[in-house]
Amino acid sequence: MISMVKNNSKNLVKWFRNRWRTKLQFSTAVALILMILLQTLALGFDFDSPGDWFGTWIQNWINILRNNASIGIVALGMTFVILSGGIDLAVGSTVVAVGAFIMVLIDVGPQGILSNLGITGWPVYIIAILLGLLLGALLGEFNGILITYGKLPPFIATLGTMKIFRSVTQHFMQGYNPEVPRAFLNIASVRIGGQLLMPIIYWLILAAVLYVVSLKTTFGRQVTAVGSNEKATRLSGVNVDKIKRRVYTLMGLLVSVAAIVQVSRIGAMDYANAGSGYEMDAISSVIVGGTSMSGGKGTIIGTVLGTLIIAVMNNLLNLIGVPPFLREAFKGVIVIGAVLLQKKESNA
Amino acid sequence: MKVELRNVNKSFGKIKAVKNVNFTLQGGEIHALLGENGAGKSTLMNILGGVLPPDEGEIYLDGERVIFESPAESLDAGIAFIHQELNLINDLAVYENLFIGHELKRKNGLLDIERMCQKTREILDRMEIDLDPKTMVRDLDTSYKQIVEISRALLMNAAVIIMDEPTSSLTNSEIQRVFEMMRVLKGQGVGFVFISHKLNEVLQIADRYTILRDGMKVAEGEVSEVTTEDLAHMMVGHEVRTMALQRARVRGHEVLRGEGLTSNDTFRDISFSVKAGEVLSFTGLLGDGRSELFQSIFGAGEDYTGKIYFEGKQIKIQNPTHALSYGIGYLPRNRKENGIIKDMTTLENGTIVIWPQNAKFGFIDFDYQNRLFDTQVKNLNIKMGNKNDPITSLSGGNQQKIVLAKWLNIQPKLLILDNPTQGIDVGAKEEIYDIIHDLADQGVAIIVLFSEAQEVVRICDRALVMFHGELNGELTGETMSEHNIMRLATGASLNSMKENNRHD
Repeated sequence: MISMVKNNSKNLVKWFRNRWRTKLQFSTAVALILMILLQTLALGFDFDSPGDWFGTWIQNWINILRNNASIGIVALGMTFVILSGGIDLAVGSTVVAVGAFIMVLIDVGPQGILSNLGITGWPVYIIAILLGLLLGALLGEFNGILITYGKLPPFIATLGTMKIFRSVTQHFMQGYNPEVPRAFLNIASVRIGGQLLMPIIYWLILAAVLYVVSLKTTFGRQVTAVGSNEKATRLSGVNVDKIKRRVYTLMGLLVSVAAIVQVSRIGAMDYANAGSGYEMDAISSVIVGGTSMSGGKGTIIGTVLGTLIIAVMNNLLNLIGVPPFLREAFKGVIVIGAVLLQKKESNA
Repeated sequence: MKVELRNVNKSFGKIKAVKNVNFTLQGGEIHALLGENGAGKSTLMNILGGVLPPDEGEIYLDGERVIFESPAESLDAGIAFIHQELNLINDLAVYENLFIGHELKRKNGLLDIERMCQKTREILDRMEIDLDPKTMVRDLDTSYKQIVEISRALLMNAAVIIMDEPTSSLTNSEIQRVFEMMRVLKGQGVGFVFISHKLNEVLQIADRYTILRDGMKVAEGEVSEVTTEDLAHMMVGHEVRTMALQRARVRGHEVLRGEGLTSNDTFRDISFSVKAGEVLSFTGLLGDGRSELFQSIFGAGEDYTGKIYFEGKQIKIQNPTHALSYGIGYLPRNRKENGIIKDMTTLENGTIVIWPQNAKFGFIDFDYQNRLFDTQVKNLNIKMGNKNDPITSLSGGNQQKIVLAKWLNIQPKLLILDNPTQGIDVGAKEEIYDIIHDLADQGVAIIVLFSEAQEVVRICDRALVMFHGELNGELTGETMSEHNIMRLATGASLNSMKENNRHD
């Protein structure tokens, strides 16, 4: 590769064009690198003290990654959902439902369920986390059951549960403000070298695990097969309904992780607004990452890149002082641009 | 209108799809364009239809040079391309389909439905077809849909109509209807390019033929001077087998028995049994219910009543996963829609059935999968590039072998093959026939659903013929002739056949 690059610029252009056409992730990666260059420029280079500059640069990056870890985790699950040919609009509401449930469990105020049972300290957190994950999985499974046994289009099933999950949560949490114990905040807020790194670590570990799952396991490959040609996959003896239900259950599990990260970062939750827009942000990341909305084509790496592109762009807009109301418009441009680009590629 | 293609060349990457081809079509002529899959027929016609630009070569209409940059330009010049997959909108009426994109309007801007229907009727009359322009396309059978497509071409004043395998999804009587219409239009000076794999149809309808092989024109001439064997020979470049392929072998135990299988609309009271080492055919015309019957048996179709016995035990297969656990394999019809998974690699397509085998903690054992896959590739003589290339990079015949290979990996006791030779070329067909008999030799019970009587006669040990969802007769040995199959498939009974034979 290097010798080719050295050879002459014509070859470089050729190599680049070839890659651009054949590797879906290549164009995504190029877009990300461009974005990072622009962002670095916007940050300004300090020639007098490069060490300080580098420190700022790194700090900026840690902030970006941390602020987008929750969406990043949800987008990982959304990749499987979209790969299977589905969609999940209920993720934001599931974040609220699971978050509220966990806060009720760990509440150290007068109404706290576990504290009233006399259970305190770490056992509470472990129980709360496990039950939170279980609830997320069950809510996801519920979506999956509507889609498979109910034969509902995923869009409609999850549009319905999106309304149900949030509304029911809001009803039960009316006038109830759980007190989240400080120790629980450590899950996401424990500092490593003075930095809040835990959300980033959860995100990267999950991305690595799911990357392997999508490529090396029966489940991962069957998900892609279902999204590419459901009928042929069913006729190959694959239990398509089971795979679909598992996809939504996995989605629910990942949403629970995002909810745990949120609760332990902020220690409170706005039931009306928390997690709203998550579905669209996650879907945007997946699409920008090159996954096809009709299923069967896409990768976890693409989604991580897609999440980063949107995140870095937000950061860039912030740095160059674009008015906040306009930022969503840029997000829209990126999504549309990414799909236009992918369309061109598949035609070539 | 006389159409001439001169010295046409077209390459895709390194592959030369069309090499120096000359092709001439006179007005009022039906010209068969023949060749195996990948011979360059579609590429050549896509060039004429303005879909692809030629690398070299010219197109002349009545001696005048033309250059088509889009299908619209070709259509404007009077050349209509009717693709195998019909391009109609089911939820619109016949006249709406004809006028879509250039609707006739009244002065006030509203649609002039009356005038459009009137014009539609004129065109249908021209073809001597009796059809109400207000019929919904959804309610038409496939032959009438073809006719609507052709009407649309005529509305655009097409003088040349290219038909790509127009008969592949038609029943015999429907084929005759389309042929009659073609003859009427031919009398009016319309020229046809007729692409088909069915050589007996070519003899029936075409005046001249051109044969392509590996992108080159290898023959052309008058259809009246050749036989189907000649054409097949020229297409593949060597002698084609026509002999019967049944082999003598010992039948084993009964593998599958159905008793009184009935589903509301599609099949009624079907009873049959198949033994290990037997090749049993179900045949009939389109819409006879045989495909639906075996989809249901395999657990992928409508629910049914009646009993199924597998190796003597009564079972009911709930879904394909369940069927798999009994060792029942199923090769569906319509490979593109039901057989291949287009976004996945050849290897993945060939092993999807056995991914769970040997998997540890859900991780696929790729070594194991590779080993089994390589064995099948060798046994079935599958020709392909890298096994990690997409399945779509293979030819139709090799794709079909991959679909078959995925089932052979489980060492099935029963294989159900629905139209396994659909849309694949002569050479690959013969290979599939041999594979079927090799498997039967190994003791696999085989049920094969053929739509061509000729295939049944050459390949199968026994044939059950269906008519409108019911079994209309069983044929073996001497009685299993194309003639008898067609008679049973069109509703005549065995008894009346015997009487007829006596009269003879």
